Amino acid sequence: MSALELPALEVPDLSVEATCHGEVVELRLSGTADMRVSEALERVLSRVHEEAQRSEVKQVRVDLRALEFMNSSCLKSFVTWIGNARDVSEKHRYSIHFISRSEILWQRRSLHALRCFAVDLISVEC
Amino acid sequence: MTTAFELQFRPSAALIQVVRRFVSDFYVGVLDDPDAVARVALATHELLENAVKYSMDGTTELSIDVEPGPEGTREIAIRLRNRAATCDIEALRGLFEEMERFPDPCAQYQVAMERGARRRTGSGLGIVRVRAEGEMRMRCSVEGDRVLIEARTQVGPRGQA
Repeated sequence: MSALELPALEVPDLSVEATCHGEVVELRLSGTADMRVSEALERVLSRVHEEAQRSEVKQVRVDLRALEFMNSSCLKSFVTWIGNARDVSEKHRYSIHFISRSEILWQRRSLHALRCFAVDLISVEC
Repeated sequence: MTTAFELQFRPSAALIQVVRRFVSDFYVGVLDDPDAVARVALATHELLENAVKYSMDGTTELSIDVEPGPEGTREIAIRLRNRAATCDIEALRGLFEEMERFPDPCAQYQVAMERGARRRTGSGLGIVRVRAEGEMRMRCSVEGDRVLIEARTQVGPRGQA
């Protein structure tokens, strides 16, 4: 297991950590993802996408269980990332697995919408 | 009897989450439906961020009304007022015209996501997300540079969540 170096967020309300476990990258978000961090989050997800292709990762697991809220700008960062992941060649393709918490009710709707956006790529666990 | 409050302030981005937590507590106090609370809290946050982001003079007015409806239901009305630039008002009008073409909010949401994936600036998702995820009926009115966005939803009677 090794930590993946990510661009700094510089906002105290959100923390993002990523670790590589062979063919799997684990990404953990905690706090609040709002308009202050959307650009930084986009850079983080771009970095994850680069690393996933470079290391021929098969799956990125995104743990949202400690994420209180995500606004539409940050959701758009995920949409951009998923769009990029959808466009890669078969050789570099990886799946995205979201881990959510059923008590955080916005996650169910938001993740359902993301899954509809790339149904072959995304799975959701409650 | 209507339960209501109104906020007028020059909010910072950091204050928006404070407002979201405050209105969430308010919604918990007046609704006993956790799913409805989550929907209207999300809608409030998105509409407030939108109003703040596109406010020309930095001032934003938020009002929330909980009105009694038929057979014990409640009608939640969230209204955001600000003054916006002409180009932003045109973009907003475009979104509301698109709603007319998409009776299914989720279909419009998917179209907005496809568009958003390629956008360099802005998400174009906020208002559409309020409609789809918040399950809100949306209305927009413009007078000069003054914009009012209203989002409404009905919540079932107490004890039926």
